[in-house]
Order: sequence, then C-alpha cells, then structure tokens
Amino acid sequence: MTKVLMYGNEAIGEAAIRAGCQCYFGYPITPQNELTEYMAANLSRKKGCTFIQAESEIAAINMVYGASLAGVRTMTSSSSPGISLKQEGISYLAACELPAVIVNMSRGGPGLGSIAAAQSDYFQATRGGGHGDYRTIVLGPSSVQELADLTHRAFDLSDQYRIPVMILGDGMLGQMKEPVEFKHEAPAELPLRAHALRGAKGRPSKYVKSLTSNPIELEELNWSLYRRYQLIKKKEVAYEAFQCEDAELIIVAFGIAARIAKGAIKNARAEGMKVGMLRPITLWPFPSEKIQELAKNTKHFLVFEMNMGQMLEDVQLALAGNGEISFYGRPGGVIPTPSEVFRVASRLYCQKGLK
Amino acid sequence: MKKGYIEINQELCKGCQICMTFCPKGSISPSDKLNSSGYLPVRFNDDGECTGCATCAVVCPDVVIEVYRD
Repeated sequence: MTKVLMYGNEAIGEAAIRAGCQCYFGYPITPQNELTEYMAANLSRKKGCTFIQAESEIAAINMVYGASLAGVRTMTSSSSPGISLKQEGISYLAACELPAVIVNMSRGGPGLGSIAAAQSDYFQATRGGGHGDYRTIVLGPSSVQELADLTHRAFDLSDQYRIPVMILGDGMLGQMKEPVEFKHEAPAELPLRAHALRGAKGRPSKYVKSLTSNPIELEELNWSLYRRYQLIKKKEVAYEAFQCEDAELIIVAFGIAARIAKGAIKNARAEGMKVGMLRPITLWPFPSEKIQELAKNTKHFLVFEMNMGQMLEDVQLALAGNGEISFYGRPGGVIPTPSEVFRVASRLYCQKGLK
Repeated sequence: MKKGYIEINQELCKGCQICMTFCPKGSISPSDKLNSSGYLPVRFNDDGECTGCATCAVVCPDVVIEVYRD
C-alpha cells in the first residue's frame, strides 16, 4: 500500500472501514465533520455496512449501543461538547461490557468553546466522563499516521477487552493533511462475540440491560470490571520516549503538544541542553511506571499541555514526590509555537542550575 | 569580559520590572511607549555593560526575554 495524502479526520474513517467497522453513527460538529462526510461517502463500499446521520449526539451513541449489542464493530465521533452529550451512552456501554470506538477531535472549552484545537478534555476522557465506576481505554495520537494506526488498534482493544475505547485527538490533527499509509486490512472473519444478540433461533431468548437492582450483583459486576481494568493497566500501556537516555529535563506531553515539544527539543539539543520527552500514547492506562523509572536518572519534569494542567496531575501521582514538576500550558485553543516551548524549557533549565 | 545582549518582547512584557531589579548592571529600564495591551514594558539599554548572565531571563515570569552571548 502506498502513501496517500489525507486529512486526519479522513484517515480515521479509512482506518475504521479497513478495521471492519460496519456501523457508523455521526452528528456534525466542527472540527470532525470530514470524518462524518468520509463515512457517508465511503462506508457503503463494503457490503452490509450502515451509515446514519443521527438526529443528535445522544441518538448516535445509543445507536452505537444497539449495533454493539448486535455484535458488529461500530464507531461514533464528535468533538468536545458533543462528547459531553454522549457520556450517558458511554457509561451504559461500559456497564454492559460492550465494545465501541468513540472519537473525540477535541476543541476549546468549556461550554461550546471555540472550534480551535485544545486538549482540555483530558480529565473527561481519562476519568471515565460519565457516571459510575468505569474506565475507557484512551489513545492519544500525535500524527495522521498514528490516527490511522490507533484507530485500527482501538477496534482490536475494544473487542479484546469488551470495553469502549476513546481516541482523543484534537481539531488540529483532524484538520491537517499528512501522508499516511494504511498497513492493515480487516481480518476476513472478526472474532465472534458470544454475548451478541443475533436472534434466539435454537436457544432460549436473553436480554442485556444496564440496570442491576441487586447491590450484591452490581458489586460483582464492578469487581469483574475492575479486574479487567487491572489487566489492561498491566498489559496495554504504550508510550514514546524521545531522547530520554541522557536527559536532565524531560518534557511530558501528549498528542499534538508532543509534536510541538519535539521541535523545542531539537532547538534545545542544538544549544547543548539535555532535554528529552515522554509521550504517553495510552492516556489511560497512563505510563506511570515508565515515569517512575525515568525519575531515577532525571529530576526535572516539564509538563506541557494545551490546557490548564490536567495530565499534570497524573504525572504528579506517578512521580509521588520523586522529582520536580513544572508546568506550561496554553488553554483555549491557542497553538503554542516550538520556539515558545523552547524558551520556557531553556529558562527552566537555567533556573534549575542545569547549565 | 563576556559580552552579550538581550531582546525583550515588547508585546508580551507586562512591565513588572523584576528583571530591572535583578540586573547586576542596571541595563534594563522602563520603556516610554505603552504596548498594545496597555502595559509599560521594559527595554534594554545596549550600553556595552551586558554580560549575558541571563538573570533577567531566569526571573522573568512571562518568559519574554531572550539572551544572546557574543
């Protein structure tokens, strides 16, 4: 397969179709409209696939709920305010242990906010977002290529653990064009879901519901979910460590902010400053153990985000006092430049007496 | 003696004058022109005294000073 030039949003669509996504339910919101458009135009090229533009975000996520119950790979997408509306459905998906992929091309908030790229949905995405004691796997891509790869991965993870998976991109990733190569084709046969409802021919009828009125039974469900989350935490952590081996200062950033930080690190290295970067690819489960390991050699961490300090708390929890943390953030959809981040990093470098 | 110079971003400086207080050579003084946010920023007096020690850049809370060393 050769490389093609594509918008980030379109790349998600293409990757989803190739991953065997059979049902897509969308509702327009900037900056993810290209994804809905792409699915409308292209999902029909495979047999038995359904595209519906729902009447609202809530309708879309409940259609995902239904499609997932019927045992097909399904996806929905939106941007920050729309994802807030979908939270009820995501909580229900988690309660019924149903796989689904939810794409959040986030934008500035709170409220309707702006349509510019921001990372202010980190808390909502990684803490569950909806009500109840549940988690979703959250993937944070930082390039169009990674959007495609992680979309494919999201479908596999979600089937494997029967858990909703969220892709936390941002408006900038969705709206930029980059060369992308689709490395995967859908497996000829998707794993058969034993719990799917496909008609009661030859067996007694059954139903799936998210109401468990007996607290003892609900506790058991919660514990079984918890055990699965522990397993995911153990096995599915992914991150990128960039020039961390000799680093005196490590920038922790995810998504598009990590791309900006990389530019800053190149400038810093040219000036002889030993700066590295850790980029969590899975935002939940968070690579806490890797950060603890890095803290053995590096004492200073700079958390850089396009929000007011959300992943910062995960880094603080991971370090548990074993390192000094500074923070730099630009909320509201402002895109910081690499030279700006470089200035901040080099000032910190001098302040801490590293140079 | 080491020589250097600094550049102060006039638009981002909010004129707190911390750098002015800390400069060992007294090479920073208030500007006479308001910036577009209505602040009175500081400016650099290139009188050949600056050593490029970067104290100003380290104390600046808004990271608006860039230091160059010859």
